[in-house]
Amino acid sequence: MIRHKIRFLLFFLLIWGTSCQKDQDKSDFGLAYPDYFPEPYYKFGKNTLTKEGFELGRALFFDPILSIDSTISCASCHSQGHAFADHNTRMSFGIDGKMGDRNSPAMFNLAWQPIFMWDGGINHIEVMPFAPITNDVEMGETLENVIEKLKKHPKYVQRFQSVFGEKPIESQQLFYALTQYMTMLVSDDSKYDQYRQGKVSFTKDEEDGLQIFKAKCASCHTEPLFTDFSLRNNGLEILGDDFGFGRITLHEEDNYKFKVPSLRNIALTYPYMHDGRFRTLEQVLDHYSQGIVSHPNLDKNLISNGKLGIPMSDVEKQKIITFLQTLTDYTFISNPIFSE
Amino acid sequence: MKFLNFLIILSAAIALTFTSCKKDDDHDDTDHLHEGNVTIDFDHVWGATEEAFSLNKELTHPMLNEKMTFNIFKYYVSNVRLKAKDGSWYAMPESYFIVDADPSGSNLVTIPNVPGGEYTDVEMTFGMDSTRNTSGAQSGVLDPAKGMFWSWNSGYIMLKAEGTAPTAANGTFTFHLGGFKGENKVQTTKSYNFGTTALVVDGDREAEIHMVANPARLWHGAEKLSVKSVNTMPNALAKSMSSNYYDAVRFDHIHN
Repeated sequence: MIRHKIRFLLFFLLIWGTSCQKDQDKSDFGLAYPDYFPEPYYKFGKNTLTKEGFELGRALFFDPILSIDSTISCASCHSQGHAFADHNTRMSFGIDGKMGDRNSPAMFNLAWQPIFMWDGGINHIEVMPFAPITNDVEMGETLENVIEKLKKHPKYVQRFQSVFGEKPIESQQLFYALTQYMTMLVSDDSKYDQYRQGKVSFTKDEEDGLQIFKAKCASCHTEPLFTDFSLRNNGLEILGDDFGFGRITLHEEDNYKFKVPSLRNIALTYPYMHDGRFRTLEQVLDHYSQGIVSHPNLDKNLISNGKLGIPMSDVEKQKIITFLQTLTDYTFISNPIFSE
Repeated sequence: MKFLNFLIILSAAIALTFTSCKKDDDHDDTDHLHEGNVTIDFDHVWGATEEAFSLNKELTHPMLNEKMTFNIFKYYVSNVRLKAKDGSWYAMPESYFIVDADPSGSNLVTIPNVPGGEYTDVEMTFGMDSTRNTSGAQSGVLDPAKGMFWSWNSGYIMLKAEGTAPTAANGTFTFHLGGFKGENKVQTTKSYNFGTTALVVDGDREAEIHMVANPARLWHGAEKLSVKSVNTMPNALAKSMSSNYYDAVRFDHIHN
């Protein structure tokens, strides 16, 4: 009888143990970042980060199955060697050779990013991939059809089940997996980071560049992520009818505002601006020093003493560029765990 | 005998275990009536004459005097609550629905497991709370694959009306109405009183709330389709069209 009791007791404990608790993380796989980074903005919540989930997201990121004719993957326009920007093209090509109307942004440190797209129209990383998947000139697909294709793909069915459990694939799982991959793209091993961690020292010019940068650029390109994630009108000449944030809010005071991009890996991600109009960092700095065009909602950081632009000498510009080159993260762009 | 006692204790323990995981949704149910389902039936009618509305049927808009044939008409209803006779509210958890004029969807909103009792009012939100518009990837009826979420300007399309109209620019009309913030917020919470007869929820007994909604109302105050036949983003027009529609939804009767 005693033995029976023990057996029942064990059975009872087993039920109790499994019924309430969710599976614990299978490993210590997680989002790692230096102590001078702020807390990530994205909270994984129901989207439990696992190695399998990350790897599924990676497979999807590199798979043209997400496009209508299986020609375009996320990686087509977001290439690791370019810090996940496009291959230094001004605009990107989608299905049928169709061309987009903005420059593909780089992708890293996205767990810290509260808004997405140049115009800030997307309010959450999980729904970010919905835009390129369904955009007519990018992947041209419907979400419904992507899910149908994944459901017919034995490899994916098995992988989704191992990550999300035995239930039919839904877009939420697709978005969760892609989000796991995207948020793990942390760029934190540039020379600047090694300098911050006391592992290397800066040259005189790099050090000077950092100080000038802090004085002239850091009010928008705030350390350590090198953006404050705001949307601003940075005084570009109006070319075309891209109203940026104004297209989202329909408020005139938001016209021609675009998201402040991070300057990490900036040397790799030319051309610059939302429309890729500048090919070099020299051109960008020339714009900020003497190319600013007046707009009613021009960012006030671009006016000093009643004059348009940020005053910078040629020597100062050269030193800023020397500093910006320390933001290139070679570990990140060659890290095999981010590769196909 | 001892073993039997043990089994009883054990099964009680297991039962306890299972109930301990459930969320606390107990409702004070002092009377004799049993928990049951409540159905809200949206009956769609057209214009002042309230002729039957259906998809793929040529209708004439009484104010625009233009012909139109809908092939999509659907909208979100969320956060449904029922007010009991004692003044307390029963709020359905995770209460999100697409009311769809297409027979492949449903024009019924079913609230399951409503505590037994008598109810005097129903409250619902046309559209959706702002939280769900900013919470990332959702599932079920909120899955963006339902075609009711804007990819480029995050937020739910709270009402979708599409079809053909000979007077419209391309012979078609497309209205995707939504917006959850600022002056373009289109979600609207409405409450309806059942009047003298209470809705009785008692097990399998039928408990239906019949609402009447009139899609023609979308164009009360809007321009002719020959002038404006497309609107697919949050803006003042989305706000006024959806408000005109929501404001005209009325309680008709209950079935007990």
